[in-house]
Amino acid sequence: MSKAFGIINFAGNHIQVDGLQAYRPVGAFSFLGRYRTIDFPISNMSNSGIDNIEVYVRRQPRSLTEHLGTGRHYNINSKRGQLNIMYTEHNRIGDIYSTDITAYIENMDCIERIHLPYVVLAPSYMIYTADYSTFLEEHIESGADISMMYHSVDNAKEAFLNCNTLNINKQKGVLSIEPNHGNAKNKNISMDTYVMSKELFLELVRKAHSTSSMYTFADILNEKCEDLDIRAVSHRGYFAAICDFNSYYHANMDLIDLKNASGLFNPDWPIYTRTNDSCPTQYFEGSKVTSSVISNGCLIEGTVENSIIGRGCVIKPGAIVKNCVISADVVIGKGVRVENLVVDKHARLIRGKRVIASPEKPGYIRRGDML
Amino acid sequence: MKQNNMLAMILAGGRGSRLHDLTKKVAKPAVSYGGKYRIIDFPLSNCANSGIDVVGVLTQYESILLNSYVAAGRRWGLDAKDSGVYVLPPREKSDANLDVYRGTADAISQNIDFIDTYSPEYLLILSGDHIYKMNYAKMLAYHKECKADATIAVIEVPMREASRFGIMNTNDTGRIIEFEEKPEQPKSNLASMGIYIFNWKLLRKMLLADMKDPESNHDFGKDIIPTMLNDGKNLYAYKFKGYWKDVGTIDSLWEANMDLLDKNNELDLNDSTWKIYTEDVTALPQYIGSEAVIDRAFITQGCVVNGEVKNSVLFTGAKVAAGAKVINSVLMPDAEVAEGAVVTRALVADGIKIGKNAVVGSADSKNIELVAKRVKGDE
Repeated sequence: MSKAFGIINFAGNHIQVDGLQAYRPVGAFSFLGRYRTIDFPISNMSNSGIDNIEVYVRRQPRSLTEHLGTGRHYNINSKRGQLNIMYTEHNRIGDIYSTDITAYIENMDCIERIHLPYVVLAPSYMIYTADYSTFLEEHIESGADISMMYHSVDNAKEAFLNCNTLNINKQKGVLSIEPNHGNAKNKNISMDTYVMSKELFLELVRKAHSTSSMYTFADILNEKCEDLDIRAVSHRGYFAAICDFNSYYHANMDLIDLKNASGLFNPDWPIYTRTNDSCPTQYFEGSKVTSSVISNGCLIEGTVENSIIGRGCVIKPGAIVKNCVISADVVIGKGVRVENLVVDKHARLIRGKRVIASPEKPGYIRRGDML
Repeated sequence: MKQNNMLAMILAGGRGSRLHDLTKKVAKPAVSYGGKYRIIDFPLSNCANSGIDVVGVLTQYESILLNSYVAAGRRWGLDAKDSGVYVLPPREKSDANLDVYRGTADAISQNIDFIDTYSPEYLLILSGDHIYKMNYAKMLAYHKECKADATIAVIEVPMREASRFGIMNTNDTGRIIEFEEKPEQPKSNLASMGIYIFNWKLLRKMLLADMKDPESNHDFGKDIIPTMLNDGKNLYAYKFKGYWKDVGTIDSLWEANMDLLDKNNELDLNDSTWKIYTEDVTALPQYIGSEAVIDRAFITQGCVVNGEVKNSVLFTGAKVAAGAKVINSVLMPDAEVAEGAVVTRALVADGIKIGKNAVVGSADSKNIELVAKRVKGDE
């Protein structure tokens, strides 16, 4: 059992995903067909031996609570461990006062009661795999106050906008934390993933709260960069931040390539999710499926190309699905052609014969829409 | 137990020796089927969906995997309070020596004490190696309606095949007047499915007598049912309509898998009102590559397809490399077909690798080829 407990933070006010976010928090977004984004941080914690996890949620907790359940499917010890959903009564998405600090303050007594000396914090809007047990060990060994993960990218001008970036010195000390304004290609993107002692965490939360009602945890860290020894730890492998609609689409599409996927999935590091008990997918005569990621429970008679298909979808004869991210239980009708779309759950595209967005600006079909 | 006062006992000790290497280390009920299932998932899911809370599973032959598999009752939702799946291998008792289960009836007799702890009104006897979906609650309702002492589920089979089954001859009301085990000249085509509902008090008495009878085979079909008929008890046949398969051979296991490829097939595993539950494996979704050709297939999570798959069923973790062909075949869990290999009319067992450019099975073979050993290729 780990010496740390885990906190999975909600996506802050800087994250705006048009469409999907109207129905559920980013953590509950469908990802790569069979997952939800929150499966990644929880599996990372569970695989790292962290058995005591708090998941913070601001609004519309239904889909998230339904998905997380008791946490049993995340391989969390059902007696010694726990997965708690921390719902904060006064938090609203978009409300400037609604910060992670407000949420921690509201649930302070719960955090104080946990008898573990360290805390690992991870966000619910980022997709990556990482071993937090070595992260914790190295942090303890280093003697630093805080360790935080970052990922070096070379496309920060057009991607990872709104994410935080780190200024790091040669000794991997963090000098400052500031938003990515898209003014340079190469940036160290903060993964909003930290390890520190519980004591220091609580102290920083209280400090932030007394400094400003609008402060976030990143804000107080930025302010404390000079006083505290904050170390940056580089992450390798697949990394995506779902910080807007385009990044959601591309994070999914990138993983159609099995090579990219092998940077995220490792047989020794399972990503758990809730089973739906759907049967295997049936491919009928005339179906044509290439370069795609398909979930179980689908009935496929049409053409699917370079797309992700969620659980229980029906692709009718003559339908053509190209460059799309399709969520669960969607029907694409006879002869309907769809391209460059994100199609939300339960949508039925039956009448419109062509729904095509441009590759630069993928389109969005709302949850349960009938087209 | 509170739901319908019926306890289920699943007979899962069978060897299934005609499945050859597939049942060398696992009992037949644990054999994989339909991409992601094991055969015993069907009776267990049927129990859960029929509102039966307590299920005993009688295991004997090669039971390590089966015992641990069924013990996790939560897979089928059989884990509420007063609910559960109980693994019941033969055991030593204070008043009796350790003895194997000598027959289907003896397996129940040796567990009378277990059943008594629940004192059910009805006992449902099932076979652990049949593939079908059935609502046992409906059968129980019929049993009560007929005021039967025992009810036996039957299915109509083609007359020419009837001599392979235990055949029930009934009168106009559905009451069984005669039972014939594999008759040469069958009088009806109502085959016993090996599914029985008994009034427990009566069966208990009969089992106690049967245990002491040195002449008995301790078998439901050979001993208990004929004795009940002789005694003039009320036995009724409950007609089942739908998909039902006893997969005794490699050919029939292959065929049962192939049945899933038909559009609107009778088993309909996609029916959300009667789901078949199974182990929740951690696997990626299906990865279908750029050169893949998939034509009539049943494929599950964890599979990676880069080659051609035609008329085939792929189980969890099966892989088909680019340029490989899998035709009219079944790839069981984690089977792998390397580049350029061709697999035709074959059933490739769990974890077996077919090497580069290897050729396995043939289109005009009489029987399905079972591949249970690694096939070396060009590498």
